[in-house]
Amino acid sequence: MAIVLRAVFLALAFGLLGAGAWAQVPDGSARLVIVSSDTSAVYVQTADALTDSLVRQGIPRTDISQSVATELAARLKSGQLPRPVIFVALGSEATQLLVAAGTQAPILSALSPRSSFERILRNHGKEVSTRLSAIYLDQPLARQLALVRLAFPQAKRLGVLWGTESSDRAAGLRSLVATSGLVLQETKVSQAEDLPLALAQVLAGSDVLLALADPAVFNSATIQNILMSSFRARIPLVAFSPAYVRAGAVLAVYTTPAQAAVQAAELALGVLRGKSLPDHALEPNDFEVGVNAYVARALDLSPDAQALRLALRRLERLP
Amino acid sequence: MKMLDIRTRLLLAALLPLVLISTLLATVFLLARFGDMQAAYDQRNRAVVRQAAVASEYGLFSGNLPQLQALVTGAMQETDVRWVAILDSRGGLLVSAGQSGQAFSLPMSALEMQGFETDRRLDWLAQPVIPSTIQLDDLFENNGVGAAQQPRQLGQVVMVFSRQSVDARKHDMLLSGGVIGTLSLLFGMGLAVLLSRGVIRPITRITQLVERIGQGDFAAVDKLGDPSTEHGPLHELQNHIHLMANRLSQAHGELEHQVDLATKALRDKKDEAEQANLAKSRFLAAASHDLRQPTHALGLFVSRLAQLPHDRQTGELIGNLDASVRAMQNLLDGLLDISRLEARAVQVNRRPFALATLFDQLQQDLRPQAAEKGLRLRVRATQLWVMSDATLIYRVLLNLVGNALRYTDRGGVLVAARQRSSGQVELQVWDSGIGIAPEHHQAVFAEFYQVGNAARDRTKGLGLGLNIVQRTVKLLDHPLVMLSRPGRGTRFNLSLPVVAGQRDPVQDVPKDKAVPDDLRHRCALVVEDDALARSALVGLLVSWGMRVAQARGPADALDSLAQGLVPDVIVSDYRLQEGHNGLQLVQLLQQQLGWPIPACLMSGDTDPGVIQAAHTAGLTLLHKPVRPAKLRSLLRHLLMDKPVQRTTGVDLQ
Repeated sequence: MAIVLRAVFLALAFGLLGAGAWAQVPDGSARLVIVSSDTSAVYVQTADALTDSLVRQGIPRTDISQSVATELAARLKSGQLPRPVIFVALGSEATQLLVAAGTQAPILSALSPRSSFERILRNHGKEVSTRLSAIYLDQPLARQLALVRLAFPQAKRLGVLWGTESSDRAAGLRSLVATSGLVLQETKVSQAEDLPLALAQVLAGSDVLLALADPAVFNSATIQNILMSSFRARIPLVAFSPAYVRAGAVLAVYTTPAQAAVQAAELALGVLRGKSLPDHALEPNDFEVGVNAYVARALDLSPDAQALRLALRRLERLP
Repeated sequence: MKMLDIRTRLLLAALLPLVLISTLLATVFLLARFGDMQAAYDQRNRAVVRQAAVASEYGLFSGNLPQLQALVTGAMQETDVRWVAILDSRGGLLVSAGQSGQAFSLPMSALEMQGFETDRRLDWLAQPVIPSTIQLDDLFENNGVGAAQQPRQLGQVVMVFSRQSVDARKHDMLLSGGVIGTLSLLFGMGLAVLLSRGVIRPITRITQLVERIGQGDFAAVDKLGDPSTEHGPLHELQNHIHLMANRLSQAHGELEHQVDLATKALRDKKDEAEQANLAKSRFLAAASHDLRQPTHALGLFVSRLAQLPHDRQTGELIGNLDASVRAMQNLLDGLLDISRLEARAVQVNRRPFALATLFDQLQQDLRPQAAEKGLRLRVRATQLWVMSDATLIYRVLLNLVGNALRYTDRGGVLVAARQRSSGQVELQVWDSGIGIAPEHHQAVFAEFYQVGNAARDRTKGLGLGLNIVQRTVKLLDHPLVMLSRPGRGTRFNLSLPVVAGQRDPVQDVPKDKAVPDDLRHRCALVVEDDALARSALVGLLVSWGMRVAQARGPADALDSLAQGLVPDVIVSDYRLQEGHNGLQLVQLLQQQLGWPIPACLMSGDTDPGVIQAAHTAGLTLLHKPVRPAKLRSLLRHLLMDKPVQRTTGVDLQ
């Protein structure tokens, strides 16, 4: 009896494993391979949303294969690289792996911050092309600036901290700010020790502080003190990620995984249908606005996230 | 190890574990408590420093010195804090509070550090201030491509704590622990003493009791009924000792009873033996008395017979008869000597005398006996004088040499005197006789003991000789040694004190010299109840030429005096008819006559009492059988100083 039960159990276990392997391991016949950087929820959601979106567009589910960067790296070592029509890399790690592997198929990178993608290109001597394109995680400067103006109409001075990885956007911002009628109070933070002083300077001369993604300035170690400083100075901080809103930023504009998946699905579908990737990196076309109501109340502010989103969409003439 | 008494041991047994356990417990708990206190102190210090570090984070980030100063001033309020300092990321001192003399310069470190200054009892702790991180979990950061951002150390908080209060508390705790330990120890000691007393007292009492029982005081057990020990731990033991003591007491009583019985039985036996001895003495006395009378008479008759003219054959017969009578008389004399010695009736008359005289007499007396047996009797001539009783010494020699001749069949007997360097003269009697076996050396001195005479041949004597010798030398206090080897002979050594020689030895030796005419015409009163003996005595005295008046008893004697008889001498028997005795009679007659008339008593009694009485009265007691020669010598002696008194008295003859 026990032996029979054990046999049944083993059979079931192997069956499940086999099914799992079938679902995860990219089939040689798959035309689209989605490579996630890791198995975290963001990537899984994005991959699933991407798959669903393509299936809805008429792509057979069997043409889509999902994989994880570490798994693919193992296959690469054994020379079993799949040959799909297009790779969709979710996150910087997956992108770096595929770029390094030198695949035949074009690569569309999604969910990568601009700084990371650019560093990968630099590291591998590549340029953005139809074979290697990306949808940045970062919001366009114009959208962020527009949000600041919508949310803080009284604000005259805009404070910005530039880090080593974001300073190349300073020119773009200056031109935008000049047309918006704001005064830009900017400071370059070339090393970590300078941050307190630079922050103090910027806060002293600003009505609102705009945070732009740069790990050298804004990271988990510095964010608390930056938030504390801005809060004490009663300067609202506008950030670029929902995590910052949770940590204490008043506002943030960001793209959700589902929104990124939809945008990626459109490009991938085009490639599957014979079109090529755009030869430049794209910025996310859909977004959400996050508000930390507690911090806003403490600063005597009352921004409405949904209203701001809609207002932004109207400005960008999005549906 | 020195022996400890039971009390000390009990107390030790009770206290040692107590002391050990209380000390151990106190030590363990104190150590644990010290450890806890130290740990709490360390933990609190660490917490304070960490708290200060957290609190100073934003101040350090923002360079807000007033805030940091407020912080360190606040931190100074914490217990034990002596110094607080906040250093910036380069190690520069930003703010500090506390005594400046305790400034510490420390290297910057991203690690928590601590140390201890033993001499000042100060702990210092350094805590790096690192910005608190917020887990953002967003894609901008977790991209795995950019360089990982390490949290930058903002600065360092250094605090110095003093262990003074902890040390003080430890000290207090040690003190209170010591006090509590000592108090509990004292309490335990008191309790142990109190409890042990309950055990020790009965034990001590039992020990004393057993000691008293050991000394034989069994009654002590009854005093044990102490009600306080009725339910004591040693009650059972006491009961058993009580039981044991009772048993011992009973056994002791029984034993004493048995000893008493045995003693009584012994006493009875002794009394019996003494009774028997007394009976023997009485019988001996009676028998000898009864024998003496006829023997006495016989001797007198034979003596008188010998004086009569007769032919040669009759002469020989009379000679033999005389010898037989003399032997018989000797035997009776021996018995008499013993009686006298037993009664201590022999008076020692110690004087210097010449041994030569004694030796001459000896040779004269015993040569015939030696010649008869064909033995050679040699008496070595000597010029020595000794200090002793000549009569008694002569008797001793007579016995010793007589014995020697008796037990020697071949060879001879030698008598010699040798002067020793110790101032003693050794009289030696050698013989070549049969000798005496060592096992008999003691026995030969006993009465009636004779070597090799189981058949009791009376010609060999009664076996009284050595007994008399021993009693005599004991009386004289002269050491006598006997050396003898069976088959080889015997030697007796008698030691006497020597004295310087004197001129005239003649009077010192009793001599039976015949003075035929001394007694003639002297008047003697003979009082004798026995007709035969009276007749023999009267006959003998008459044959000596004396005038004799005779009386059967006191009445006759008084009659004779009444008739005008004035005797020169009274010769009276001791035991007279009708309960009278010669002593009383003599005293009566002396009283009648008005002057102490010389008198002598004759007795067949060997009763020591009679001998003693005569001695006391100053009268000579002659023992029957009286030898005619001796009687004659005595009479002559008694009459020596008296002139012949012509009396007008009736000659009763």
